[in-house]
Amino acid sequence: MGWLRIREMVRKEFIQLFRDRAVRSIIVMTPLIQLLVFGYVVNYDIKNIRVSLIDEAQTRESRFLIDSLTAGGVFQVASIPASAGDMEKLFLEGKADLGIRIPPDFSNLIRRGKTANIQVLADGGMSNMAAVRISYLSAVIDRFNTSIIHELYNRDLSYGRIDARIRTWYNPNTDSQKFFVPGILAFILMLISMLLTSIAIIREKEVGTMEQLIVTPIKPIELIIGKTIPYIVIALGQAVVITPLAIFWFDIPLAGSVLDLFGAACLFLLSTLGIGLFISTVSKTQQQAMMTTFFFVLPFFMLSGFVFPISNMPIIVQWLTYLNPLRYFLVIIRGVFLKGVGLDVLWEQYAALAALGMVVFAGAIKRFHKRLE
Amino acid sequence: MKTKNITAIARKEFYHLLRDFRSLYLAFAIPLLLILLFGYALSLDVNHIETIVVDREKTDLSRDFISSLEASPYFQIIERADSMKAVINALDHGRARLAIVIPVGWTADLRADRKTTMQVILDGSDPNFAGISSSYISGLIARYNGNLLADFLNRHGMQKISPPVNPQIRVWFNEEMESRNFIIPGIIAIIVIIVAALLTSLVIAREYENGTMETIRSLPIGAGEFLLGKAAPYFFIALTDVLIAVLMGQMLFGIVMKASFWLMLLASSLYIIVALTLGLLISSVTKSQMTANQTAILITYLPSLLLSNFVFPVTNMPVVLQAITKIIPATYYIEILSGIYLKNLGFGLLWPDLLVLLVMSSLLALLNYLVLRKEGF
Repeated sequence: MGWLRIREMVRKEFIQLFRDRAVRSIIVMTPLIQLLVFGYVVNYDIKNIRVSLIDEAQTRESRFLIDSLTAGGVFQVASIPASAGDMEKLFLEGKADLGIRIPPDFSNLIRRGKTANIQVLADGGMSNMAAVRISYLSAVIDRFNTSIIHELYNRDLSYGRIDARIRTWYNPNTDSQKFFVPGILAFILMLISMLLTSIAIIREKEVGTMEQLIVTPIKPIELIIGKTIPYIVIALGQAVVITPLAIFWFDIPLAGSVLDLFGAACLFLLSTLGIGLFISTVSKTQQQAMMTTFFFVLPFFMLSGFVFPISNMPIIVQWLTYLNPLRYFLVIIRGVFLKGVGLDVLWEQYAALAALGMVVFAGAIKRFHKRLE
Repeated sequence: MKTKNITAIARKEFYHLLRDFRSLYLAFAIPLLLILLFGYALSLDVNHIETIVVDREKTDLSRDFISSLEASPYFQIIERADSMKAVINALDHGRARLAIVIPVGWTADLRADRKTTMQVILDGSDPNFAGISSSYISGLIARYNGNLLADFLNRHGMQKISPPVNPQIRVWFNEEMESRNFIIPGIIAIIVIIVAALLTSLVIAREYENGTMETIRSLPIGAGEFLLGKAAPYFFIALTDVLIAVLMGQMLFGIVMKASFWLMLLASSLYIIVALTLGLLISSVTKSQMTANQTAILITYLPSLLLSNFVFPVTNMPVVLQAITKIIPATYYIEILSGIYLKNLGFGLLWPDLLVLLVMSSLLALLNYLVLRKEGF
């Protein structure tokens, strides 16, 4: 193994990369923009539920219901349409999340101890959001019912009931950013390391300089190492820049240790660089390399638990996710950031990541080697 | 503008694609994969919440409560434990995401008509999950309390109270409340971006890199002819992809288009043209495949994924980003598609979105033409 040759190879690669102003700015800007945009966009917090309201009763009770609805600040009466037809139009235009229509005989029924039906219309477009909105509304109505019953019966109804104390661990305010921003770090690392590696090698082939490299005294293994080191350095460099940004800009406290994070990132890069190398051996053009990369990146992204929970997937697909390095890395990065756990609790994830990384990387090197000879 | 010239360029581009068989085949395989994944595997709906239960009482009443939990399709009891240590362990390892602790004295409190507390611990790391499951468990407890109240009234010889207000809930646009119904239209927009914008972002840059641009420039071919020829093969590939996606959505997942098919085709064609012209513009400005593809990811793929109301709700974004979503073509296309798919809207309500796509495609086409002219076409 000639360290000198590897060093020269690394130097050549860096010069080639940074000579291009566009590449320079891409390497710096892409992760920053991705982190900022992703960080603000991925947000499932329920706030500002736009209610379209028709109050045909206009009584003390109906106003009490509306007040208890808007008291928490989550529901906002966004529109007061004149008719049911107008309300439906607002829904078609996407200007309301919930529509509530209180019938004229609302108070009469309630005062006589009967049940008043109110009409609720929900936009089910984004079903996950709709489910939460509906249950928020049900909770408000439950509370309203309890106070009305107390008022009506005017006697002590202190029956034995359960008072649920719901506590949320790891992310007490269920803040979306705390969950997604660490995942974004993982995603950016994956995209950059996979795409840049495969494209850089293919470019060498396309331009024809690969032939020249092969006839130099550099050995295949040295060539591979020299080719991958720059991308390890770039990917880790990006991680070093964007992690503090995530911590300070988005105010995500790092509960665990930086070292655990760094170790996991290195193991993760083993897999992604390996896949990048592999793609470069099976592709002839940059176009092919890019499409093949996307063929890997998209399922990795979707089957990792990043946005879509793994436990929701069919069991066969759940097994498939065990082949996905991003899955393990996400568990680790979220565990370290939110739960403050480390290698001691997550050692299985580290082991899986290491095993996967070594198999992929070794396989890629072997294939690359053969291609060169 | 001569049709002969256009077809010549289109044929050349098509040969490139054919020779590069894998790019072509991935242009069809990626959409298939995405639709299958989203249709079968990916869902934002919450059910089967992994629950760990600590029952310190082991009475009939506590067992009754637990069985009401088991009866619900939303909860799945994966472990019954005796200590908080087991709870912490299960949550730390992510085996369970909800813990319910029934404390000592729970049954006695309830029997004596006293309020009793119960600890519920949620894994809050995934906010989408935490929001939904927290409301499911509150709802379940509220219903259980309703039973306890009925029981109480019964024992005291009182009439059963009917709840004063009963909400009659109707869900529009996605009656089954399944996330795939709103994700599939969005996925079509992503597929078009991958095929029409990402792939084409390389095609002119490739000519520059290989030096063949000089040759083409010396031919008697106009900038407009060159652009049309370059775009034509990708237009047809993208359109085929859209049709495949629509067909699969319908045949495999029963996601039926409620409104007009022709309206969908018109909107898709306009959107494909926007994506193509965007890709080609990036290609002729950057002149290098690596830069082109990174730029294309940054300004076409990621915005379409993130800023288009696809799975990430625009109404939750900061005002600045909400403003940016207005210049993302996918925003309008997804609005049209979900209008057609979920809301059964027609041309009457969708024409403003179509107009935006038309204006975008014309402007981009003009910009493309000007850039190429400046390069000496």
